[in-house]
Amino acid sequence: MILPKLHQAGKEALQNIWRFKTRHLASLAVVILAFLSVGLFLALANNLRARAVEYGRDAAVVFYLRPDLPASESDLVAQQIRSAPLVAGARLVDAEEARRRFLARFPDLEPIVESLGRNPFPASVETTLRNPAAPSAEVQSFIAEVRRNPAVEDAVFNREGADRIRALGRLAEAVGLAFGGLLVLASVVIISGVVRLNIIARRDEVEILRLVGATNAFIRGPFLLEGAILGVLGSLAALALVALAGRFFPAAAGGALGPLGEIIGFRALTAAQAALLVAAGAAAGLFGSASSLARLLKI
Amino acid sequence: MIELVHVWKQYRPPAWALSDVSLTVKRGELCYITGPSGSGKTSLLKLLYRETLPTLGQVRVGDADILRLPGAKLHLLRRTMGVVFQDFRLVPRRRVFDNVAVALQVLGTPAKELRRKVFIALRMVGLHHRIWDYPDALSSGEQQRVAIARAVVNNPRLLLADEPTGNLDPDLAAEIMHLFEEINRQGTTVIICTHDRTLIRLTPGRVFALHEGKLKGKRPG
Repeated sequence: MILPKLHQAGKEALQNIWRFKTRHLASLAVVILAFLSVGLFLALANNLRARAVEYGRDAAVVFYLRPDLPASESDLVAQQIRSAPLVAGARLVDAEEARRRFLARFPDLEPIVESLGRNPFPASVETTLRNPAAPSAEVQSFIAEVRRNPAVEDAVFNREGADRIRALGRLAEAVGLAFGGLLVLASVVIISGVVRLNIIARRDEVEILRLVGATNAFIRGPFLLEGAILGVLGSLAALALVALAGRFFPAAAGGALGPLGEIIGFRALTAAQAALLVAAGAAAGLFGSASSLARLLKI
Repeated sequence: MIELVHVWKQYRPPAWALSDVSLTVKRGELCYITGPSGSGKTSLLKLLYRETLPTLGQVRVGDADILRLPGAKLHLLRRTMGVVFQDFRLVPRRRVFDNVAVALQVLGTPAKELRRKVFIALRMVGLHHRIWDYPDALSSGEQQRVAIARAVVNNPRLLLADEPTGNLDPDLAAEIMHLFEEINRQGTTVIICTHDRTLIRLTPGRVFALHEGKLKGKRPG
């Protein structure tokens, strides 16, 4: 009993979408735009979060050594750091390796580095912590203790950088949800308008349906489905575009961004995020349709 | 089957569309509501399919008290009746088949049974060969016959017709009246609103004459 009615409602909804394809295409474009912006910001936030985890996993604290320090003393400092209970590992990076790393990353700057006549990069000890999420006070006291060694010139606590990137990810997510939310609201209004036009165009049919004893659900079903289909199609298309952006953005624009390319990028949405986006599309469509039905089809 | 007790209907004061109308129609009857334009025929019919409610009085259709019938159960009343209009009210975008099938689709009739019933209804009105045509391709008489097929496809207990021959020439009108007679012979109560007295002579039935909203006379068929 329910299946034939559902089948009928689905058929009606698809026929309607096809019959008024121009207006449906226009509303679909708005839905896609709305969910594309939400999707892109989420993908950007995913990338930032992943980078933050990577940076957090990398050298958590880097101790820079005095430039004139003999190699034997550098080894001693590295050993002292390794022996600390907080430390999982410590790797000595000599001045030459530091120089090589810099030039690999910024090859354009090689002439400037060469023109200095000496290696400007200090040796360092890259330290990873046993517990990357250890309380800051504990880590800071460990850093202070190491810095008391006159061989150590400076220390950089990288977790702060990772935390900043993570915060940037949260910001991107919030901006995406706020901006995308506004666009989703706009798509609800557009869907509502389209469904409203369809109800007016099909008033004669609605009248007949009422006369032959159709229930409210039977009359409203196709219109509701119409909105839901638009929402789902729009969000699915947006998901596909986000996936394409994730795949082709690094090749198309990654180079132009230089070192920023590492953090400005799109990482695939998780299954839960994708499902949520499609569900939000369906909900936006249903809500848009329902608002028109409430105004125009008081049965 | 149908009972109106002291029914009054007013759309806008001070005029009354119906004034103290009382009548009874038995199950299986064929009867006419006649009167000039504006006499209240359509208002009376609208009360029967509950398109409107009486201002005063009681209306009973089958087991349903129209005034007390909740909106959520209106569809159940409508499923027991078929309604035919002067302007046919077919959906031009849909084929003859779909126009008739809609009355079964609302009941959730399975596809196979639906096709069979639609074909039987269209054969009854002599239009089974036009099943895949659009209404625009049919003559006025044929369009009205499709509307009748839609009204009777789910075997209603009651058939209401509001000036069903108003847009047809006399020969086509006679054809349509014979159809109503045939439907009535199969047990359906038929109520026809018309201002055309020649039709009543063609297909006899009880007559309720309305004038300015008042029931002026009842004549046995």
